[in-house]
Amino acid sequence: MWIVWAVVAAGSTGADRSAVERMARGDADALAELYDRHARLIYSLALRVLRDDGDAQDVVQEVFAQLWRQAARYDDRRGNVVAWLVTVTRSRAIDRLRRRRSRPESPADDVDPTAIVDPALPIDDRLLTSARASTVRAAMDELPLLQRIAIELAFYEGLTHVEIAERLEMPLGTVKTRIRQGLLRLRDRLEGAV
Amino acid sequence: MADVDHESLRDTAALYVVGALDARERAAFETHVRDCASCAAEIQSLGAAAQAVPLAAPQVDPPPALRGRVLAIAGERSPRAGASDLRTLIAAASPRVIPSWLSLAALLLVSVALGAYAIALRQRLGGLEAQLNDTIARLNRTEQELITATRTAAGVQARLAVLTAPDLQQVTLAGQAPAPQAAGRAFLSRSSGLLFAAYNLPPLPAGRTYQLWYLTGSAPVSAGIFKPDDAGRAAVTQQPPAPAPAVTGLAVSIEPEGGVPAPTGAIYLAGQAP
Repeated sequence: MWIVWAVVAAGSTGADRSAVERMARGDADALAELYDRHARLIYSLALRVLRDDGDAQDVVQEVFAQLWRQAARYDDRRGNVVAWLVTVTRSRAIDRLRRRRSRPESPADDVDPTAIVDPALPIDDRLLTSARASTVRAAMDELPLLQRIAIELAFYEGLTHVEIAERLEMPLGTVKTRIRQGLLRLRDRLEGAV
Repeated sequence: MADVDHESLRDTAALYVVGALDARERAAFETHVRDCASCAAEIQSLGAAAQAVPLAAPQVDPPPALRGRVLAIAGERSPRAGASDLRTLIAAASPRVIPSWLSLAALLLVSVALGAYAIALRQRLGGLEAQLNDTIARLNRTEQELITATRTAAGVQARLAVLTAPDLQQVTLAGQAPAPQAAGRAFLSRSSGLLFAAYNLPPLPAGRTYQLWYLTGSAPVSAGIFKPDDAGRAAVTQQPPAPAPAVTGLAVSIEPEGGVPAPTGAIYLAGQAP
């Protein structure tokens, strides 16, 4: 089933998996292949979180180093490679951001790829491909401003709901509702677009 | 669990999928979800959209030098094999010697690439700075030109107003005894002002100026002072309307520098209004 979606949506998901298998055997070309396919996406994400070119480059290097080290343990039943890259990039970037704010709370140190994807979370191949980035961006842009900002503060700044409420000077309950409403709307927009 | 609680748990599920719970809340919620089909379904429902959010970051090309840095990883260390993966174990067991000079060479290449990148950046910065200065200079020039043009336009407009005034009068001034070859012409409007031009005026002695006068029924009224150019030409534009009651003519005399309230010197030009 996922193969069908992968082919329809991106055409590269299967290729990603085979590249990771080749990396597990020490194939440096496979690393180059994955870099060329996804570096733009994850560099952009790291840059969005850290807003610093040097830090963003460091994160991209760390993420690929981790993928290279752990390729043999990569379990392809758990989500696709882009999902892994995005999750690890975000958590490493936010760790770095927190260290920069000298708030050393580090929940995701050297994330294990077999554990990174919560089994409870559906990994939807249709939503997690580089090719979908522009669709997601358009859907985000259509969200009401406060819903979008609340979601972005969680994702890109790594803030908790309490911190978001403080930052936006809004009641806690309002923040929770905004985030949920934003996600529901986003889900409807993305499902409509698939 | 009561329905009221589940209303707030639905919001908590949303916070969970965007990573907005703190560590303690996250652990508590994960424990709860294991026994709660309703919350698990909620996570299912929101999770896909949440996973897509990081893709919405503005897309930027990574610097070209980063590729070399990342690919150098493959030269530094070989991947650690998973214990359960026999093929990988076999692959890892086969000799895969990387000479140290090779990683040194890779490191060197990366440093050279980074150095080149820094130089390129600095050059680009220098170029941009030069462009900025150039643009500022151009802007200043343009501003000056605009001020000049505005002044010119205002002058032209004033002269045009005189020439198109319904009460326009033309006065021809003839050279008088001190300068018989001099001549002048004036366009005069009581409502819009005065245009005056003179030719072949003799050069002024030091400390003296020409002064233009409105001739009226009583005492003459000053219409401004002026100095001719080397060819003896001069022009005067006078914005305020001519004095009441009626202007009967115009005259030009030589006066002390700065002008005087009433004519004292010799008359050089004079003409009667029609």
